Amino acid sequence: MIKKKSRSNKAQAKKEIKKGPNIKIYCDISKCLACRSCELACATEHSVNKDLIKAIYEQPLSKKRLKISAVNNKAVSIHCQHCQDAPCVLACMSGALAKDKISGATLHNKDKCVGCWMCVMACPFGAIVRDIEQHIAVKCDLCPDRKDFACVAACPAEALFAGTKEEFEKRLKDKKDKK
Amino acid sequence: MNYVIIGGSAAGVSAAEVLRKGDKKANITLVSDEQEAVYSRCLLTYLIAGSIDQSKLNFKDKSFYKDNNIKAYLGERAVAIDVKKKKLSLDSAAGISYDKLLLATGASAKVIDIPGIKKKGVFTVRKIDDARSILAMLASVKDVAVLGGGLIGLRDAYALRQRGKQVTVLVKSPQILSQMVDVEAAAMIATVLKKNGIKIENGVAAKEILGKKSVEAILLDNGEKLDCQMVIIGKGVKANTELASCGLKVKDGIVVDKYLRTDDKNIFAAGDCAQAYDVARDELRVNALWPCAVEQGQIAALNMLGKHTAYQGSLSMNSVDFFGLGCISLGITKPKPEQDYEVLAKTKAGTYKKFVLKQNRIVGLVLVGDINAAGIVGPLIRNKVDISSIKHLLLEDSFNYAKVLPLVARFQECFKQAEYQDTIITY
Repeated sequence: MIKKKSRSNKAQAKKEIKKGPNIKIYCDISKCLACRSCELACATEHSVNKDLIKAIYEQPLSKKRLKISAVNNKAVSIHCQHCQDAPCVLACMSGALAKDKISGATLHNKDKCVGCWMCVMACPFGAIVRDIEQHIAVKCDLCPDRKDFACVAACPAEALFAGTKEEFEKRLKDKKDKK
Repeated sequence: MNYVIIGGSAAGVSAAEVLRKGDKKANITLVSDEQEAVYSRCLLTYLIAGSIDQSKLNFKDKSFYKDNNIKAYLGERAVAIDVKKKKLSLDSAAGISYDKLLLATGASAKVIDIPGIKKKGVFTVRKIDDARSILAMLASVKDVAVLGGGLIGLRDAYALRQRGKQVTVLVKSPQILSQMVDVEAAAMIATVLKKNGIKIENGVAAKEILGKKSVEAILLDNGEKLDCQMVIIGKGVKANTELASCGLKVKDGIVVDKYLRTDDKNIFAAGDCAQAYDVARDELRVNALWPCAVEQGQIAALNMLGKHTAYQGSLSMNSVDFFGLGCISLGITKPKPEQDYEVLAKTKAGTYKKFVLKQNRIVGLVLVGDINAAGIVGPLIRNKVDISSIKHLLLEDSFNYAKVLPLVARFQECFKQAEYQDTIITY
C-alpha cells in the first residue's frame, strides 16, 4: 500500500518540484524508516555513470552527501541545511564554498577545494563529508543534473521533502488535517 | 560616508563586502601594502607544495574591488592615523579622510634574532612574495631546515617534503603543535610525519646560521651542525599593531570591545591584529585564524554601518591534514590540572578523541583521524550548552548531529538560527 502511494507521489514530484530560492531538503523524523534508500540514491546520482550497478564498480567510489542516523529510537537524515549565514563559507579559505546569489544554496567548487577541512571543522550539522581519495570536501549540491532531488525521489516513506520551509510546514499541516 | 579599511586579506575583504552590501552609495577605500589582490594567505603552503598553481590562489574574484566599487590602494602602506582630523596618511603622502576606519592589518611572521638570519635562503612564509622567492630557488635546494614545530612550521615542512626535499624540523619543546593539541595527538601526527620522511628533532634550537652569502648549514644549540641550503622560520605570528600608536590600547593585539571597536569610537579592528573576546577561555585573546578573521571583518563592518551587532567571541580552531591524517582542535586542548576540568578521551585504531569539559560544558576538543564530528562541537562550546544528557555519547563513533537534536529541542535559546529550528520541526 505504502509503496504504491509513494510511487505515484514520486512521479508527481518529478513534475512539480522546481529549484529556486530557499529550497532545501527537509526530513520528517516521524516518518523516516532508516532504510537508507536516500544514501544509495545520493551516491548513485553523484557517480560518474549515475547508475547503481555501474557506480559500484567505479574507482574512487562515489560518496553519499547525507547520512541516516539514529536519535532516540527514531531516525533522521543529516544533510546540508544550506544555511543563510553559512559557517562553512565563512571558514573556507580557498573560496571553494560560496552562497549562490540567486537560489541561496551553499555550493562547493571542487576545483578550488584543497582539502583543508576547515568546512568540516565549521559545519554545525556535520554535513560535509571528506572524500579522502580525491582529497576534497563533498556536500549536498541539490542535484544540479536533474530536475528533482535524488534522495527525495528515492524515499519510500515520504520522509524526505524538498521545498521551502513554508511548503514543508504546510505539508505537515495538511497531513495532520487529513488524519 | 567614508569607510576606510587597512588590510586586504580575510578580515579586510570580508568587511568591504559587508559594507558595500549595507551601503550602496558610500565611499569605500581599502589600503593594502601588497600588490596582489584578494589572495588567500593560507593557500601559500599549497602553492609551495605544488598542489595548486597561482591561478587558484584567490578566495574572491580578481575583479572584487572593481565589482564592489571599492577604491583600492594596493602596494601602499598606511603609516599614521590622525584621530582628531580623522585622517589616514599613506607613505605615498596622499591623505585619506575617514568617518569609520577598520584596522585589518593582520600579523607578521615572527623572526628570531640569531647570527646569520639575514643570509640568502632564510625565509618566513607569510606573503605571496615569500612563496615566490622560495619557489624560485627550490631547484637548487636539497636540504631544508624548518625552525619551529608549530602549525606554520609543519605546514611549510609538509609542503617542501612534497617537493621531495630532505626536511628537518627543529622543535625546542618536547612536542610538536604545542599550541594546538595535546601530547597524545601530537605524537600521532609526529609519527605520520616521520614515516613520510620528515625528520623532527625535539629539544634543539638553531644557534647560528652558517654560510658565506647563502645558507650552508645551521649550528644547533647542542653543538651539532645541520647541513641545509634553505631555512624556513616557522615561529608563529605577531599582530601588526604599529598603527594603534595613535592612542589605541594594545596588549597582544589591538584591544577591541564586543562590537569590535577600539578605544576610539570611529576605529574598529578585526582579524589577526585584533584581540577580542575568546568564548572558550573567557578572556581577550588574539586568535589569528582565517574563520575568526572573516567573521570579525563582517561583524566590524556591520557596526561601522551602525547596525549594532555584538560579536559572540572567537574560538581557537585549527585543522591540519598531513599525509592523509586529519586533525582538528577547538578551544582548550591542554587544560591546566588545577582548574577542575573534566577530560574524556579515547584512542582507537589510529584515531584519537578528546573532549575537555568544565561543569558539563565542552570547552575544548581534539580529534585525530576521525574528524567528522568537529563542526557539531563548535556551537556546543560557543553556546556553553549543558551536555550532561549526551555525555556518554561524545566518544562514540556514532556521535553526530542526530545525537545533538535533543539538546537543540531543549535549549532553544542556544540554537536560535533558523537552520537549527528547521531540523527539529518534526522531532
